[in-house]
Amino acid sequence: MNILVSGAALVIACAAFVTYDWITSREAMVHNLSIQAQITGSNSVSALLFNDPQSAENTLSALKAAPNIVSARIYTAEGLAFASYSPDGSREALPLPALPLGQLEHHWFQDGHLVVARKIVFEGKPTGTVYIRSDLQEISHRLKRYAAIAAIVLAASLIAALLVASIFQRAVAEPIVHLAEITRIVSRDKNYSLRASPTGNRDEPDILIHAFNDMLGQIQQREDALRDAHRELEQRVEARTAQLATANKELEQQNREVERATQLKSHFLASMSHELRTPLNAIIGFSDLLAEKTTDHLTDKQNRFIGHVRNGARHLLQLINDILDLSKIESGLLELRRETFGLSEAMPEVLSVIRPLAIAKKIRIEHAEETFSVYADRVRFKQILYNLLSNALKFTPEGGKVRVEGSSNGSLVSIAVSDSGIGIRSEDQQLIFEEFRQAGESTKGVKEGTGLGLAITKRLVERQGGTIRVMSELGKGSCFSFTLPAGRAALEVQPEPVLSEVSIEDPDLSEGKPLVLVVDDEPSARELLASYLEGAGYAVTTVTSGAEAVERARQLDPAAITLDILMPGGSGFGTLAEFKKTVETAHIPIIVVSVVDQKETAFTLGAAEYLVKPVQKSALLNALRKHLGAVSRTANHILVVDDDPITLDVVSDTLRSVGYTPHTVSSGKEALEFLSKVDVDAILLDLIMPEMDGFEVLCAIKDIPELCEVPVFVLTAKDLTERESRILKRGTRALFRKDTSWKNDLLAQLAKAVGKPPLAKTAGQS
Amino acid sequence: MRPHGSSGIYRCTGHHRGSWPHFVVLATLSAFILTSILHAQSSPTEYQVKAAYLYNFAKFVEWPPQVMSSDSSFNICVLGRDPFDSTFQTTIAGESIKGRNVLVKRIPRAQDGAGCQILFISSSEEARLKDILDVLDKMSVLTVSDMPQFTRRGGMIQFVTEANRVRFEVNLTNAERTGLTLSSQLLKVAIGVRRG
Repeated sequence: MNILVSGAALVIACAAFVTYDWITSREAMVHNLSIQAQITGSNSVSALLFNDPQSAENTLSALKAAPNIVSARIYTAEGLAFASYSPDGSREALPLPALPLGQLEHHWFQDGHLVVARKIVFEGKPTGTVYIRSDLQEISHRLKRYAAIAAIVLAASLIAALLVASIFQRAVAEPIVHLAEITRIVSRDKNYSLRASPTGNRDEPDILIHAFNDMLGQIQQREDALRDAHRELEQRVEARTAQLATANKELEQQNREVERATQLKSHFLASMSHELRTPLNAIIGFSDLLAEKTTDHLTDKQNRFIGHVRNGARHLLQLINDILDLSKIESGLLELRRETFGLSEAMPEVLSVIRPLAIAKKIRIEHAEETFSVYADRVRFKQILYNLLSNALKFTPEGGKVRVEGSSNGSLVSIAVSDSGIGIRSEDQQLIFEEFRQAGESTKGVKEGTGLGLAITKRLVERQGGTIRVMSELGKGSCFSFTLPAGRAALEVQPEPVLSEVSIEDPDLSEGKPLVLVVDDEPSARELLASYLEGAGYAVTTVTSGAEAVERARQLDPAAITLDILMPGGSGFGTLAEFKKTVETAHIPIIVVSVVDQKETAFTLGAAEYLVKPVQKSALLNALRKHLGAVSRTANHILVVDDDPITLDVVSDTLRSVGYTPHTVSSGKEALEFLSKVDVDAILLDLIMPEMDGFEVLCAIKDIPELCEVPVFVLTAKDLTERESRILKRGTRALFRKDTSWKNDLLAQLAKAVGKPPLAKTAGQS
Repeated sequence: MRPHGSSGIYRCTGHHRGSWPHFVVLATLSAFILTSILHAQSSPTEYQVKAAYLYNFAKFVEWPPQVMSSDSSFNICVLGRDPFDSTFQTTIAGESIKGRNVLVKRIPRAQDGAGCQILFISSSEEARLKDILDVLDKMSVLTVSDMPQFTRRGGMIQFVTEANRVRFEVNLTNAERTGLTLSSQLLKVAIGVRRG
């Protein structure tokens, strides 16, 4: 193929050269002929001038020397033939061909001949014309010769090229192709043990092949080395992994132990907290009751005794709370729920608590309306503030002054509590923040408090990212100031864990008893529902079939309808659809009561409620109440659940005293049993109980659809975790702590939830 | 000039009347005259040709420089009875030779030929030729004549009419003796070249 290419190139080159030569020789011929014409012409001048044709012919005959000239003529200035020449001596009379005007000479190719015609000018005067005609044989001969040589050269060079190519092929191309092949195979199979075979000649391709083989050898070595390194690495990795695994296991073990220890600790704290607080609660509760109820019936001394009991109990409670707090902080189990809130939200409550004490000691409390907000735990903040304020009040004599002031530097809010009290010695100023230490221990002075307050306060402040310090001079007063992070921009005031409740309105009873239409084919079922409803103050009408139901409903327009599903003569769903289609009955709430559980279908068709037989009275009434409003019926049955009989006593007493009807159970199981038989208006639930704790009861209640609507309140001594708070927040109306004054709060919430107790309603209707 | 192709003899044929031969003679004569007149108009006269040749000679002759540079005209002179008449006007009027204007002069005596480059000696001076040539010998003048034996008697170029054509004969020695150089081109077309 290469030969073809070179051949073509050569042919083109030769053709070009031949063509060039042809053109050049033609030009040369013209030039030659022109010169000959010139010479002949100038030699013929005198012949023309002196009219001597013979002389002219002699001159022309000199052209015999050029064999290519076939004829020559001289014409006079007038264009008449003067002399002529022919190689063969023949004489033709040819007229002078026309010469283009102005041109001295003109040549043209005609019939394979070249003709040159040139004017003879002597001393500026045209004297005549020379005409020479030549054949082109010379050129064609030359051309043929040239072409022949070119062809021979071409053929020779092509053959030579072929020869060289084949030699080259063998010597160079083959080894390289072989090399390329080997390379391809090595790349494809990654087999570095292959080698290219040398040519055996000591030439460049051979050198290349040897070099290539060396390279392959090196690559092979590297490969092997790499493989070994890789293997070793794998082994090391395995070893390390095994090490890590064992280390991990140990750590896990330790972790578990640590977790268990922590769990035990928190469990201990929790149970301690509960165990300690519950009896205390009873002490406080009953002594409160005693103080309240029996002040008139007791002697002064007895009243005093009760006072002592109360104070002692309170102090003990405070101490327990402090110890538990401190313990929690120390073991890192303190949970803070930090939020942004304004100082003006938290301060009033604290101030109102200590105000009685301040009034008693005639100490004036100064405070301004604070505009700053902090990012901290709301409860703990109040605790800190309360601690500092109570300390201030404690150590300030009568008629003194206590001041609360807030300031901010942008990122921190600082609150200062200053008093005009007895002051603190400089050596005591660090001491007072330690546990169980009070200033002036050696001196006889006011010895109230547990000695833990400031220790706890300090830790609380520091845990929330602040600092606390004291500035004081003995006899001049003290100023305690603490900093907390400033509130975040988005001031979302989180509500306290008190839910908004759904207000249940009493229906307008002046309309008379609401009518319920009971639809069921079974007489026993009808009777049962009717007794439930009539007992609760509803008017009842019964029908035995779906068809009847729609008619009756249209006639009577009941307030609600209970509908059975499994009835002969048409499934209740059809009737349900009918009710909803019919304009007059479409608005009536329908409570489906059925043995089967087909809630989806019922609700899709427009049922308001779905109860599964056997129906709990409470469930039915709740449902009705939900859709109709409460009926005139004393709404005051409250179930109190607590394993501690004393708490039960206290609570139920409290409830009864305002007119509610409390029912008491001492375990979760009993509670559920009770709830299944009797429907109550509210549940008061303790959390820590054996067997089934409050959370489980809550869960169980949630599972029973009829009880879902019953408001649940929690009364507990337990410190709640974040998670527990969340659960309770979701499932209960309100939370009350046994160690705080829960009574009024609880009654207020209950009133909101279930309505005021009958005694309180004496003013209104029954 | 003799008329063409006529021998002047006519032959009698067969019967002839008295007035018939006269008419023929008349016709022929008039024909001759006509043709000669016509011919005279189409072809140059003898002296026209010679005048042209005189002019042409100058193109092939080199005069010694001292002769040429005397004045700015090229003088062709005629000595003796001038046969050219007005032919010079028609043939070489306004021409120039070697860059000089051509002047035609008629000189009365040979001595006046000093400023001439070409001198045509008329055949009327045949008797006095030797004296004329002796006078001219010291001057580089090209002597031309059509008298017979001119070149033998010391002349340089002699016109010869041959086959109705004006030719000329050259005596090279005579020319070169006075310092004149004659081109071989001229010699080529001469019918004869004498040396000596």
